Amino acid sequence: MKKAGLVIVLFFGGLLVYGTLDFPDWGDPTSPASLHVSPRYIEKTLEETTVPNMVTAILADYRGFDTLFETVVIFSAGLACFFLLRTRRKAPGTRHYRHRPTGIVLHIEKGGRLPDDSTEFERIDSLWVPHDLIIKATCRLIIPFIQLFALYVIAHGHHSPGGGFQGGVIFGAAFILYAVTHDLREGLQRLGERTTYAMCSIGVFIYAGVGTLCLFFRKNFLDYSALAAVLGVDPATARSHGILMVEIGVGIAVMAVMFAIYCNLSSVGKQDEGL
Amino acid sequence: MNILVTVLLACGLIIFTGGAVGILRFPDFYSRLHPAGKLDTMGLFMSMLAAALYTLEDLSLNAVLTSIKILLILVFVFITSPTATHAIMDAGVRADLAPWTKGERGSAQ
Repeated sequence: MKKAGLVIVLFFGGLLVYGTLDFPDWGDPTSPASLHVSPRYIEKTLEETTVPNMVTAILADYRGFDTLFETVVIFSAGLACFFLLRTRRKAPGTRHYRHRPTGIVLHIEKGGRLPDDSTEFERIDSLWVPHDLIIKATCRLIIPFIQLFALYVIAHGHHSPGGGFQGGVIFGAAFILYAVTHDLREGLQRLGERTTYAMCSIGVFIYAGVGTLCLFFRKNFLDYSALAAVLGVDPATARSHGILMVEIGVGIAVMAVMFAIYCNLSSVGKQDEGL
Repeated sequence: MNILVTVLLACGLIIFTGGAVGILRFPDFYSRLHPAGKLDTMGLFMSMLAAALYTLEDLSLNAVLTSIKILLILVFVFITSPTATHAIMDAGVRADLAPWTKGERGSAQ
């Protein structure tokens, strides 16, 4: 059986390699892609969308459908993580509480708990790091800058490398850093589980919603020049603004999916004690 | 100006090379982190300073902004790199990894 599988894989792999022989060479100026599509983008992008960064314009405007479904792919990755890993709390495990003045740690078995608002006891993870002052202080210093940089990457995607996906990942990394350096519960207090999943869908909704809005103005789905009347600008600038709206949606979705996947993976779906 | 940039770049490369050799040659986890943390930070300091000076060659607003951005990279690396080394070191201690002592031969992993 294994040998048969190997033969089939080799056969189809060979077919694929044989198929690539017919491809045009890298950077071949006479290939169909370089003859018809690329020159049009290179010549017309600035004129039609007023976006200096051609990659952003192609990604979010000319190939808007592609990017919409890329966002949906990321959204479904978050959903898959949720459905595969998230468990209901069945048997409550041991909880650890640390007495702040003395440093004594209490193990409480089988779902017993102390009140969460106790000033003398704090709940700690079973793998607890006692001396993390340096790391916490550094993160308090660095996280605002990470978030600012993420917003910059999203907003500046029109002019420099960047955009919704990259900015969203950086923004998600800031939340993950917070959850790693403090603990998962404190991270979830900042960005709750329900909020995270709501933001996953809101991001995709913004993208699809901007596309649908164009339909109401008698243009095609995702043809942002339809928004010119609403925004009060000429059609080319409207396309540029439409790209920005779409990128914001992508950024929100990617950020929330990153954090959701981290929470589920690090706590094996219990969202109780993380790394 | 160009001479200064070249000297700084050369110093940075020498320090980076020292760091790479140190990571390969030192006997155990903790002593390897020493070149990884220190020399990388210093090498980056030298080479980024060279890059910042190089962009300042034609003095315009854009060049000044670019070199300020490069200097910002330096500031953040100076904050984060020692913290990362500290965290890795701390993880090693908490995982009960024994440090290398003089009697042992070779790599202690």
